[in-house]
Amino acid sequence: MNYPVWYLPETGGGFLIALISILHVFVSHFAVGGGLYLIYAEKKGLKEKSQPILDFTKKHARFFLLVTMVFGSISGVGIWFIIALVNPAATSLLIHNFVFGWAAEWVFFTVEIAAAFVYYYMFGRMDSKTHLKVGWLYFISAWMSLALINGIIGVMLTPGSWAENLDFWTGFFNPSFFPSLVFRTFIALMIAACYGYLSASFTKDRDVRIAMTRFSAKWALVTLLVVMVSGLWYLSVLPGQAHGLVMGKSPTIATVLPWGAAGVLSLLLVMLGAGILRPSFNLRPVACLAMVSALLVMGGFEWTREAARRPYVINEVMYSNGILKKDVADLNSGGYLRKALWVQNNDVSEDNLAQAGQEIFINQCYACHTVGGRNNDIIKATSSMSYRALVSYIQRIHEVRYFMPPFVGTEQEGRALAAYIAGDLHGKDVQEPQEVAGDIAKGPALFEENCSSCHAAEDLVSALDGQGQAEVVESLKTLNEISDEMQPFSGSEEEHEQLATFLGQTEKEEPEDVIDGKDVFKNHCTMCHGVPDMKRRVVNREREEIFTMLGRLEQLQRAMPPFKGNAQEREALADFLESINKGGE
Amino acid sequence: MEPLIIPQPDTIPVSWGWFQFLLLVTFPLHLLAMNAMLGGLAIGIVQHIRGGTVQKQLAHRIAIALPLVIAFVVNFGVAPLLFVQVLYGQFLYSSSVLMGVFWILIVPILIIAYYGAYFYDFRFTQLGSAGPWVAVLAFSLLVVIGFFFSNNMLLMATPENFGGYFSHKSGTLLSFGQPSFWPRFLHMFFGALAIGGLFVALLGRFRKDVNPELAEHAEQVGLNSFLILTSGNILLGFWYLLSLPKELMMLFMGNHIGATSSLCIALLLVAGALFGAWKKRFWLTFYHAVGLVVVMTFMRSWLRSGYLKDVFTLKELQVVPQYSPMIFFFITLVVGIVCLWWLIKKTRDAFLMEAEPD
Repeated sequence: MNYPVWYLPETGGGFLIALISILHVFVSHFAVGGGLYLIYAEKKGLKEKSQPILDFTKKHARFFLLVTMVFGSISGVGIWFIIALVNPAATSLLIHNFVFGWAAEWVFFTVEIAAAFVYYYMFGRMDSKTHLKVGWLYFISAWMSLALINGIIGVMLTPGSWAENLDFWTGFFNPSFFPSLVFRTFIALMIAACYGYLSASFTKDRDVRIAMTRFSAKWALVTLLVVMVSGLWYLSVLPGQAHGLVMGKSPTIATVLPWGAAGVLSLLLVMLGAGILRPSFNLRPVACLAMVSALLVMGGFEWTREAARRPYVINEVMYSNGILKKDVADLNSGGYLRKALWVQNNDVSEDNLAQAGQEIFINQCYACHTVGGRNNDIIKATSSMSYRALVSYIQRIHEVRYFMPPFVGTEQEGRALAAYIAGDLHGKDVQEPQEVAGDIAKGPALFEENCSSCHAAEDLVSALDGQGQAEVVESLKTLNEISDEMQPFSGSEEEHEQLATFLGQTEKEEPEDVIDGKDVFKNHCTMCHGVPDMKRRVVNREREEIFTMLGRLEQLQRAMPPFKGNAQEREALADFLESINKGGE
Repeated sequence: MEPLIIPQPDTIPVSWGWFQFLLLVTFPLHLLAMNAMLGGLAIGIVQHIRGGTVQKQLAHRIAIALPLVIAFVVNFGVAPLLFVQVLYGQFLYSSSVLMGVFWILIVPILIIAYYGAYFYDFRFTQLGSAGPWVAVLAFSLLVVIGFFFSNNMLLMATPENFGGYFSHKSGTLLSFGQPSFWPRFLHMFFGALAIGGLFVALLGRFRKDVNPELAEHAEQVGLNSFLILTSGNILLGFWYLLSLPKELMMLFMGNHIGATSSLCIALLLVAGALFGAWKKRFWLTFYHAVGLVVVMTFMRSWLRSGYLKDVFTLKELQVVPQYSPMIFFFITLVVGIVCLWWLIKKTRDAFLMEAEPD
């Protein structure tokens, strides 16, 4: 709210951060571990008086220089750029609080660069004792860089008492500092071993290839073991909520962790099978598999670490959308839009409901949700919810899903957000709830407000099959026993009865009143478009994309009016257009 | 008139003067390295295209040095970018978002340019006549980065343009339409090419014992480039001065003692540097030029605070004192300098050993 939001609705900032940071950490950890690998590879060459191994080491140093100095250092700057673009408030807080930590890191980065150049360009041109010392200077500088960054970014996940006092050293030596440092040190060495394994696969001299393959595989296996043990130590120091997210409560972590585990397993198999037992199997495709496995391990870890902070970007201090936790109460009473700087609607009225809602969406939801994009698409996430359901859900969002930040603002602002999502994005009716009389009439409304964010009524039919009214009422009071992601229904006794009655009467959905998309097309589109013309326009587009486009026709082309049909008609039209895209009509 | 949008700054751990000092110390290092990169590469391209033995040798020496120079341009850019974020973060973060698409493009562009530089270096001979074109590509990409930086530095200093966000939410706002943009950019660009001439001359000097002909040629080309480009750049400098809003221009014309003195000192240093280049006295030219770059960073600083003075002054930054991290940084800096000194010494010793006859 203090800073503008870089709004790329279909891309999302989170995707860009993930893309740059995962690739960067894969190289930057190589930059640390690779230093030690080079020292020991050179020592091996010297000890065995093997010029071919020294040649291999020099060649690997060149590869190391090209990868780490160019991609590694520039993508490191890239992370700084992208986090400042996507979350300037958090970046500013960390930069201002830890400026001298970053500055010290810059000093080590400078020494690291100088030492890397001297190491490579003076290979074989200075006495080996001094040359190894240069290698050690490089490695120590690189490791110090890692240690400093580890302290600063660790505070984002485990701030400890820094969250209250903002003291530099308290934050730096945060609860996860040491486990994370050990974990990162060994994952850096493991990645370095994989890069060494890759270099070995490109070596033409068979003896060197086998020797360096085995050398690399030993490194990889030993370090992988320490990575796993220190990973458990790391996990043990996470605060309760973060621990819960890692252990399965976060859908995004649950999706990624199996990939990380697959990476570990695959790496173990490759290094054992085609490293220790049969080093001659280290062919280029096998080495590439090892690299992909290592990337999965590293990527899985980074993704998990990022997601475990949710709903915060800096745990217990700042939510993912840049709102400080300490400001929430004030913003709830005084209004979010009145305090937000980069908005055009400072108040909400009936006239600007959707526009204000869009600004709230951009400022509060876009940090994690795209609009019509692949990553966490808000349209997909809310497709089953009506305006009324959204109004209720938005106010309870953090209670229902811990990993989402609470909605911040007045009730009216919450309605504006619901109006934007339901009305503008889905083309659904935006009507305030009407007072209705009678148990049966209130049941659907209660369901909509309290359950529809996660369930369709029809889906619950089989779960409630055979249960009487009293049993359903009892279940509603103990929903948390069914799943710890649910909370007991908080309505009055009467509302329990009304909701139970509704659930008891719900039957499996029978399709009725089917709307023909072709008819909708005739009624709404044929005054300007024919089928062949439309076919060209929707070619290669997915159904969801077509559906989204129908919600913003006027933005696609100024001359087009907005689609005036209701939600079902829009769905039917999207189906029809998809069918002509696939060769129908 | 649209209301100004000025974000709240975060607190700082020590007085702003420390950060200003660190900014003014580190930024000239970045500028000098950037000038060496851009100007050196431009001269290298011209030498390579012109052909001739010594010209190609010079182009090759420049190609070899280029990756190292780029590494230090980036590295020396990190520190001032850090300190300017501490002092003016609320403006810089905002302007960066406003031109987000271009700002983030700097990263892939720089990676391509950097790999281009390595390619030019490692394949200098094999590339043959295609070599200069690889170098031209790298040079063009680096100029584009400079163009984006200039846009951001001007945009952050002119928050009256921040309202443009509402029509550029996807981060496509640039500031090259402002009257002072082009003279500012061109002044920096030609200044970089000129100082790059001195880098080329210096590079030649490093090879004096091995290849005196190359050293002489490099010095001649470098000093001539500096002389011609700096003479022209004086005119661009005056254009830049006149293009500034009158209130800001007058800072350098008597309304602010520091800014005005800096301009006067800068003009004296220019005169000294031109005299040195004309008389072919390298070190005289070099020291004047380095001094000039340092004074220019002071002038930039006054100009920026002049742009922002109605909405923000550095004195407004709230200090929540914590000095021990700064002491830690200074100790680290001393250790780092000792390490760099040791590396240079050992490298020099190795070179001397190599040069010694068996």
